[in-house]
Amino acid sequence: MTDAPYLAIDGVAIAFGGLKAVDRVSFTIPRGELVGLIGPNGSGKTTLINIISGYLKPDEGELRLEGERIDGLRPEALAERGVLRTFQLTRVFPRMSVLDNLMVAGCALGLPHETAEQRAIELLNDLALARLKDEDAGHLSGGQMKLLEFGACFMVPPKIALLDEPFAAVHPTMKEIMAGFIRRRHAAGQTFLLVSHDMPVIVELCPRTVCMNAGAVIADGDTRSVLTRPVVIEAYLGEAAAA
Amino acid sequence: MTPTHGTRGRMRGELVASLAILVVIAVLPAIVTNEYWRGVIIVSMYFAMLAAAWNLLAGYTGQFSLAPATFGMIGAYATGLLAYHAGAGALAGIPAAIVVAGLIGFILARVVMRLRGPYLALTTLSFAEIMRLVTSNSIDITRGDLGLSVPGLFNSRIAWYYLMIAVLAAVQLGLYFLLRSPAGLYLRAIRDDEVAAAGRGVKIVRWKTYAFALSAAISGLAGALYGHFAQFVSPELGLLGQTGIIISMVVIGGLGTLVGPIGGAFLIYVASEILRDFGGYQLIVFALLVILFARLFREGLWGLLRLAWQHVAARAVKGASK
Repeated sequence: MTDAPYLAIDGVAIAFGGLKAVDRVSFTIPRGELVGLIGPNGSGKTTLINIISGYLKPDEGELRLEGERIDGLRPEALAERGVLRTFQLTRVFPRMSVLDNLMVAGCALGLPHETAEQRAIELLNDLALARLKDEDAGHLSGGQMKLLEFGACFMVPPKIALLDEPFAAVHPTMKEIMAGFIRRRHAAGQTFLLVSHDMPVIVELCPRTVCMNAGAVIADGDTRSVLTRPVVIEAYLGEAAAA
Repeated sequence: MTPTHGTRGRMRGELVASLAILVVIAVLPAIVTNEYWRGVIIVSMYFAMLAAAWNLLAGYTGQFSLAPATFGMIGAYATGLLAYHAGAGALAGIPAAIVVAGLIGFILARVVMRLRGPYLALTTLSFAEIMRLVTSNSIDITRGDLGLSVPGLFNSRIAWYYLMIAVLAAVQLGLYFLLRSPAGLYLRAIRDDEVAAAGRGVKIVRWKTYAFALSAAISGLAGALYGHFAQFVSPELGLLGQTGIIISMVVIGGLGTLVGPIGGAFLIYVASEILRDFGGYQLIVFALLVILFARLFREGLWGLLRLAWQHVAARAVKGASK
């Protein structure tokens, strides 16, 4: 692991009409770090993920991955460069089997068909979805869909996995499967940016956390210290609670 | 490892069912000796090819084009014009028709590929009408509404019959292997969720363009074969009503299934010939069936058959376990 910036977000901003959804956000993520991204609803977390993953083009600022400018690239080009994500509102291919859902990512990212199939089966075993491999993804429960979408990020080890609320409305057993997977991958050097409202999970998984409010970064540092800062408590609970 | 269930197992079942339909058609001449009805079945195979090509777009890639008949017309005119102006035969004209229709499809796709839903449908509708009107009004080149005489390929109708079965079987096999390949995965992923597909590395514009061009090329092949069979092409091949018939064949047969367009094409075209005496009323019946299936049963008749089969199988298992 090195401290050199791996993903560098530099002065990134975007406005929708008069609303500054992301307001000159800057922070870096070193290789192999697992960073939590928290903030109240509407603070700009998902918009920032959409910018990093190419679904939105920033009005200003730069994004660099391993030194290469990546802002403005389309999502498929970013996926090819190793920027993979999950969505807050789960997105799977409902009329395709669970296995084929994973195969899409594997083949599109360059794995030969046989290798992709083997990799998909390994992942389904890891995520306790193997018995469902031939089911249409649209028949899965909400939690199983979250797991499937999560798995698609790891068909080819990503340079950075952007996980947008992976634990929302997920059964504790599945949540533990996902958390365990993240822990193992992080220990093996995988880089993550994890958006979540689940503070116990953030505390447990993320050594470092960035907090956003009203589109801007209001705290960045060691997770436990970030969560006790008055500015963070105020953002979540209001001024009276912070006092 | 090749799974026997799931999406791919289902696709194999659909291929087998569509080839079984073609086997039934292959033995029909033993019963159907009337040349007129053999001709009806040949034309229904022309429609089956157009329907299969449109299903690749609408059923497997989620692109609702309103120009399938137009690409058939383009194919028919490509070979027709080559024959009329250069004296070329079918063996040169048919490959040329595939290339011309595919190329025009590719160019149109580059223009419309970032459009979705009603915008894509409206743009392809405009293209279809422009092409038909240009064909109809370029009298010096196309002879306009008078149409063009096209040389035949065989004198024997039965030879046409089996050629069309062979070509349709080849198209079905080609589509099956395409849809099982990584390309097929990408197309189906785009159909289900374009946003998610892009996030997983699928090159959306590239694959949508390829699907559009391939669909156009298959339609061009169908049109060229029809032209040589009928020995006549006219702008009527590109009428919007023809597109309506193709769409109804796919929707009633089973959108997004390999067998639906084949079964739907035979059913609708043969039924429309049987009901010919009722004039325009047959079209009302087909239109109502389209509304019914689109509203209540997206997988069409094939889906209904599958459900019935599952029901029978479940009852059999229940009976055996008692």
